[in-house]
Amino acid sequence: MGRRAFGASVAVATAVALCFLLLPVVALFAHTSPANLLDQLSNPVVKDAFVVSLKTSLVAQLLIVLFGTPTAYLLATERFRGRSLAITLVELPLVLPPAVAGIGLLAAFGRMGLLGSTLDAFGIQLPFTQTAVTIAVAYVASPLYIRQAIAAFEATDPNLAAASRTLGAGPARTFFRVVLPLARGGLAAGLALSFARGLGEFGATIMFAGSLQKVTQTLPLAIYAEFDVNFDATLAMGCVLVLISVILLIALRTGLTWQRSRSTASTSLFGLSRST
Amino acid sequence: MTRALASLLACAALLAGFAARANATPKSGLTVFAASSLTDALPALDPSEKYSFGGSNTLEAQILQGAPADVFASANMTIPQALYAKGVCSKPVVFTRNTLVIVVPRSNPAGIKTVYDLTKPGVKLDIANSGVPVGSYTLQILKNMNLSAAVLKNVVSQETNVREVLSKVALGEADAGFVYSTDARTVPGKVTVIKLPAWAQPKVEYGICIVGSSSNKAAAQTFVNLVLSKAGQAKLESFGFLPRVKPKPAPKTKRK
Repeated sequence: MGRRAFGASVAVATAVALCFLLLPVVALFAHTSPANLLDQLSNPVVKDAFVVSLKTSLVAQLLIVLFGTPTAYLLATERFRGRSLAITLVELPLVLPPAVAGIGLLAAFGRMGLLGSTLDAFGIQLPFTQTAVTIAVAYVASPLYIRQAIAAFEATDPNLAAASRTLGAGPARTFFRVVLPLARGGLAAGLALSFARGLGEFGATIMFAGSLQKVTQTLPLAIYAEFDVNFDATLAMGCVLVLISVILLIALRTGLTWQRSRSTASTSLFGLSRST
Repeated sequence: MTRALASLLACAALLAGFAARANATPKSGLTVFAASSLTDALPALDPSEKYSFGGSNTLEAQILQGAPADVFASANMTIPQALYAKGVCSKPVVFTRNTLVIVVPRSNPAGIKTVYDLTKPGVKLDIANSGVPVGSYTLQILKNMNLSAAVLKNVVSQETNVREVLSKVALGEADAGFVYSTDARTVPGKVTVIKLPAWAQPKVEYGICIVGSSSNKAAAQTFVNLVLSKAGQAKLESFGFLPRVKPKPAPKTKRK
């Protein structure tokens, strides 16, 4: 293949790919007028869905950071039997179809589920509650954070942690004062990806938490419910989600350029692509 | 670099392949868009067509967005009539009827015996949203029985089609749900049926029409004729559907 033909075919393929990826997003905004969009934002269905989405996502991300960070730290720093199996398990929800995750959550936490009677004894019933939405979001989104966090912890210089220990700092102090600040860029990137994935969560939520305005109806669920009732509202919600994703991605890109290598970022972006 | 190019080209080729397949229209077999409640009955009636089941209003939206349907079978007359008014489908005819029932899980955790028990605090009631025919029928029944406010406060989820309501009850996650009597029959042993009084029942008439954009209107008409035929009606009745024409009440059943 001649040099010119090669260059041309690369350019053409790139143009096709870019058009293909951008067209739906552009169409979303072209299909509606900005006035109509703003008008729909005051629609109670849209507002309620936004609040539910935000609330459940924030709680889910908090839980993910709280439990995911130690998990990632352990998996990144310790070498033990079954470690690679543990990492595979952590990544499993990433490749699991969300609907399967939903059935799994029902089979585990549902009233007739594995833990259903135990939870019931404590007076806890999860399905159809906002807690169920949070659980579904945390389940599907956490792998993105943990994966990225493992990479971030692995990338920190072990000599720095060792130096901190020889200077008399305990493991906890070393973690909080040395390792965590070193890894914070990667952790933030992981959090952004996991947040974006969680915000788009649909399948597991509708199966496990149901859909009720103001309670469990998140933005994606509202889009599904309003699709045949009020198409303008679905467009408005779609645009909101696109804007949030774009902001997250830009924040991620600008954050990455000063903090982390490109290779780890690109592997984790694979997960983001599944979320929409 | 060459590998990157190769994979890019492979992707492009794959995409082109998909596009080609999407364009190729199958020579035979109609595409029938039908209400979820017909999921079992229609394929039994005519297994040779392709079916897409969903909430009738979802299917309506898809047809309006240009989905390639030949026949549309809705769980009400309102939606196909609206499509007819827009010139999108032929004049709909009633092809079957149905009734609503309450289903509760076999274990009946909330101890529901009658529709009035649905007003008890804490009952987890699942219904379809008001855009779906079964959802609007549910609201009508509750209104007819003057139970709207008392029952609707217990709604924990609103589904987009009747079968989702059914599965949430069959799974035992919801305490009760409103579905068609024909749906309840599809999960025997998992749910218990609680009948609703005949006087409160709304008129549940299913409408069928031929979609205007169909490229195979003759075959579509044959399908509609089959559904309306004696054999078609018998098949639907074997799934619990009611004859499309309400039988004239025998004089002795009319008391008072």
